[in-house]
Amino acid sequence: MQALLTPPENRGRNWNWIGVLPFFLFALLFLILPTSYLMVGAFQDADGGFTFANMLGLLEDNVVSAYWISIKISAASALGGGLLGFLLAWAAVLGKLPAWIRPTLMTFSGVASNFAGVPLAFAFLATLGRVGLVTVLLKKFLGFDLYSTGFSVLSFAGLALTYLYFQIPLMVLIVTPALEGIKREWREACDCLGGTAFQYWRYVAFPVLWPSILGAMLLLFANAFGAVATAYALTGSSLNIVPILLFAQIRGDVLHNPNLGYALALGMIVITGVSNAGYMWLRSQSERGRT
Amino acid sequence: MSPHSLRVLAVAAMAVCGTQSALAQSAALVTAAKAEGQLTVIALARSWCGYGAVIDAFKAKYGIKVNELNPDAGSGDELEAIKANKDNKGPQAPDTIDVGLSFGPQAKAAGLLQPYKVANWATIPDSAKDAEGYWYGDYYGVLAFQVNTDIISKVPSDWSDLLKPEYRNAVALAGDPRTANQAIQSVYAAGASTAGADATKAGTAGLKYFADMNKAGNFVPVIGKAASLAQGSTPVVIRWDYNALADRDALNGNPKVAVVVPKSGVVAGVYVQAISAYAPHPNAAKLWMEYLYSDEGQLAWLNGYCHPIRFNDLVSKKLIPKAMMDKLPAAEGYAKALFPTLEQQTAYKEIIGKQWDQVVGATVK
Amino acid sequence: MKSTTRLGAWIAFLVGAAYFLIPLIATFEFSLRMRRGEYSFDAYRAVFGDPQFQATFGYSIVMAIVTIVVGVLLVAPTAYWVQLRLPKLRPLVEFITLLPLVIPAIVIVFGYLRIFNSSSYLPLTNSETATDFLLVCSYVTLSLPYMYRSVDTGLRAIDVRTLTEAAEVLGAGRATILFKVIFPNISSAILSGAFLTFAVVIGEFTMASLLNRPAFGPYLQLMGANKAYEPSALAVIAFLITWASMGLIQLFGRNAHTRRVQPGTDS
Repeated sequence: MQALLTPPENRGRNWNWIGVLPFFLFALLFLILPTSYLMVGAFQDADGGFTFANMLGLLEDNVVSAYWISIKISAASALGGGLLGFLLAWAAVLGKLPAWIRPTLMTFSGVASNFAGVPLAFAFLATLGRVGLVTVLLKKFLGFDLYSTGFSVLSFAGLALTYLYFQIPLMVLIVTPALEGIKREWREACDCLGGTAFQYWRYVAFPVLWPSILGAMLLLFANAFGAVATAYALTGSSLNIVPILLFAQIRGDVLHNPNLGYALALGMIVITGVSNAGYMWLRSQSERGRT
Repeated sequence: MSPHSLRVLAVAAMAVCGTQSALAQSAALVTAAKAEGQLTVIALARSWCGYGAVIDAFKAKYGIKVNELNPDAGSGDELEAIKANKDNKGPQAPDTIDVGLSFGPQAKAAGLLQPYKVANWATIPDSAKDAEGYWYGDYYGVLAFQVNTDIISKVPSDWSDLLKPEYRNAVALAGDPRTANQAIQSVYAAGASTAGADATKAGTAGLKYFADMNKAGNFVPVIGKAASLAQGSTPVVIRWDYNALADRDALNGNPKVAVVVPKSGVVAGVYVQAISAYAPHPNAAKLWMEYLYSDEGQLAWLNGYCHPIRFNDLVSKKLIPKAMMDKLPAAEGYAKALFPTLEQQTAYKEIIGKQWDQVVGATVK
Repeated sequence: MKSTTRLGAWIAFLVGAAYFLIPLIATFEFSLRMRRGEYSFDAYRAVFGDPQFQATFGYSIVMAIVTIVVGVLLVAPTAYWVQLRLPKLRPLVEFITLLPLVIPAIVIVFGYLRIFNSSSYLPLTNSETATDFLLVCSYVTLSLPYMYRSVDTGLRAIDVRTLTEAAEVLGAGRATILFKVIFPNISSAILSGAFLTFAVVIGEFTMASLLNRPAFGPYLQLMGANKAYEPSALAVIAFLITWASMGLIQLFGRNAHTRRVQPGTDS
C-alpha cells in the first residue's frame, strides 16, 4: 500500500507509461498518422516537392461551389436544427408538459441522432418522394401537388429537411443539461417584479443559455459538414458537396489530381476543427457560468 | 504425295493441333485458374446483361470465388480502380474490366491492360477489337427511354418529346456524363437525333440539348436507377435497352414500366472486356474470358437482353433458342442504329466529358 | 405558470412528434406496397430471403463484435491506468478520443488507403484478412469517443483507488485486478459503450465502401439504388435494430447513475 501511495517521482524509474502504450500506438497508427499524411500531402505535388498549388487548386470553380453548398446546407440544418431542437427541449424541460414526455424524448433523441445515413434517406424518399406517403396524402386530401411547386426531396431544401432528422435530436441532447440549469425561481422572480416574457428571455434566460445554444449549433454544423452517407444515398454521386466530391475523388479521381484530394480533405478538417473548437470553448464558458 | 494433298494434310494437321492446343490451353488454364482460387471483377451489376446468372454459373462450373467490386461503377471508375491498385495484390484490385468502347484504347495507352486472345478470337468482328488483343468487344445494345407509366401518362417517343413541359422534373441520365459510358452515349444520341452522326456536331448538339432540358426544368441531375424510377424521383431514365428491360422484369409490374427506343438518334453501344496489366489472378481472368466468349457465356448475355458480340456467328450456327430470340427488343430498332466508330467516340467523349460542367452545369439546386 | 407557455410547449411537442413519426410511418407504409394494389410483407420476405442480406448482415455483426472486444480491451485498461496512475495524461487522452468526432470518417479512411496500401511499410490491403483487420481498426477509431466516454464515466463513479489497493493487499496481480475486480464494477458502462458501438458499426457506410468490404452499409446503399421497395423494409429493420441497441443502453445506463450526451454520427 505504501508503494501505491508514493508519488511516481519517488519510486525510481517510472514504467507507468507502458500501461497506456497500446492506446497511444493505436492512436498514432490509425488516427494521427493517416491524418498527418493527408495534411502533408496537401502541400506536395506529384513528385513530392513542396507546393501551394493544391491549395490554389481549391479555388477551382467546382471545388469552391462544393464547399459553398456544403457550408450552406450545414448552416441551414444547424440553424434549423438548433432553433427547432431548442424549442423542443424547452418544451420538454420547462414547458410543464406531462412527466412521461421528457424521458421519452431523451430516449428517442438518442435513437434518432444515430438514425442517419442510408436508412434515413430511404425514409425521406418514402415520405416526401414523388410517390411518398405525404405527397400522396397531400394530393388526395388537399388537392395540393407538392412536386408542381418545384419542390423535390432531392433538392437543397429536401436535403436540409432530411438532415434535420438527426440534427434536432442532437440539439435536444446537448441543450437539455443547460436548460436544466435554468431555475424556475428566476422566472417567478421576474414575474413578481413585473417583467414580461420577452424581458425574461432577453435579460435572464438567454444570457445564460446563449453559449450552450451557439456551441451546440457549431457542433451541429460540423456534424452536417462531414456527413456523406445520407446525401450519397439520396442523390448519388452527383450532388456537389465536399464529402461526396472527396468520395468520388477517392473512387474515380474526377479531379484528375490526387494531391488536390488531400487539399480537399485538409479543408474539411480545418472547417470541422474550427467548429468543434468553437463548441468546446463555448461549452467551457457556459459551464463556468453555472453554479 | 501431291502438293495439293500435302497442303490439305498440313492444314488438317494444323487444325487438329490448333484445336488441341486450344483445348489443352483450356485444361491447363483451368488448373492454373483454380490454383489462384479467386477472381475480382468490377462494375458488373447483377442485373446488367444478366451478369448475376453469368457469375453464378462461372462459380458453379469452376469452383472459383468471385469478388464483385463496386457493381454500380462507371467505366471511368474502373480504369481508376486499376490505377489505384497497381501495387495491390489484394481483393480490391480488379482482374478484369468491362468498359465502353472508347475506354479500351484509353486504358491501353495508359498501360493498364495485358493482351489476351480468346479461343474464339476470329469470330469477334474486327471493328470491335484491338488487333493486338488488349481489348475486345463483348456485347451491345441501343439506348432507350425507360418510363414509369404510373407517373408519366404520355410515353415519349423521341428525343424532342423530352423537352416538353409534361416531363418537368422527370428525366435523368443513368450515369455521370463526365465519366460513365452510358451517360456519354446518351448525350451523343440526343445530339445525333438533330445533328446527324458527325462526332463534333452531335457532341455539341447533345450538350446544348441537355442545357436546354436543364433550363426547362425537365432534367434531374441525379443518376437514374431502378429505385429512383420506381420511387418517382426520376420517372424517365435514358439507358441501355437491356438494363431497361431487366428493370421492367425485376419490378414485375409494380410500377408499370415502358421501354421505348427513340424514333431518331438510335445509338448502339459496344462494351469491351480487358484484363488488367496488374491483375493479381491473371489465369482466373483468362479463364473468365474464355467462359464469356464461349457459346454458354454469350447465350447467358443474350438471356439478359444484351446482343452478344458473336450474335451473328451464333445465329448462323443456329445456336439461339427461338424463345430467347423472341424476348429480344425488335430488330427494326437495331437496323437503323448508329454504331459510332472508335475515332468518333473518342472525339465526342472528349467534348462531352470536358464541357459538361460548363455548358450544362447541372447540380442539385 | 402562464397557460400560453403550456400551449406553446404542446405545439412544439406535437410538431416535433409529427416530424419524427411521420417518416417512420411512411417508410413502413412504403415497404408494404410491394405487391401492386394491396399491402403485403413481400418486401420483407424478399429482404430476408436475399443471400446477400444474410451475408452482409452476418459480416457486419461479426465486425461489430470484434470491434467491441478490441475497443474494450484497448480503452478500458487505458482509462483505468490514466485514472489511477497518470492523471496528468487525461486531457491528452480525452483530446485524442475526441479527434474521430472532428475528423470526418471519409478523411480517415482516405488516409488509410494511402498509408496502408501494398507499397507501404505496413501493407494492410493485401488480403481479405488484412483488409478486415484494417476495417476493424477503422471501426474502433470511429467508436473511440463513445467507448472512452462510457468507460471513463463508469470508472469515475466507482472508487478505483480503493478497489485496486484492496485487491493488491489481497495479493492480486495486475491482470486479475483489471478483469476480475474493475471490469465487473463498470460492466454497465462497458455495455453502454458496446451497444453504441454496435449501432454505429452496423450502419457504417463510408469506410466499408471505400475499403471494398461486403458490409451491411454498402449493401443498404446498393439496394437503395437498385430496388424500389426493399430499401424501405431495410430502413425499418435498421431503425428497429438501432432502437433495440439504444433501448439496451438505456437499460444498462440507468445503472450507471450518470447522464451522458451521445452525439450522433453520420458515417
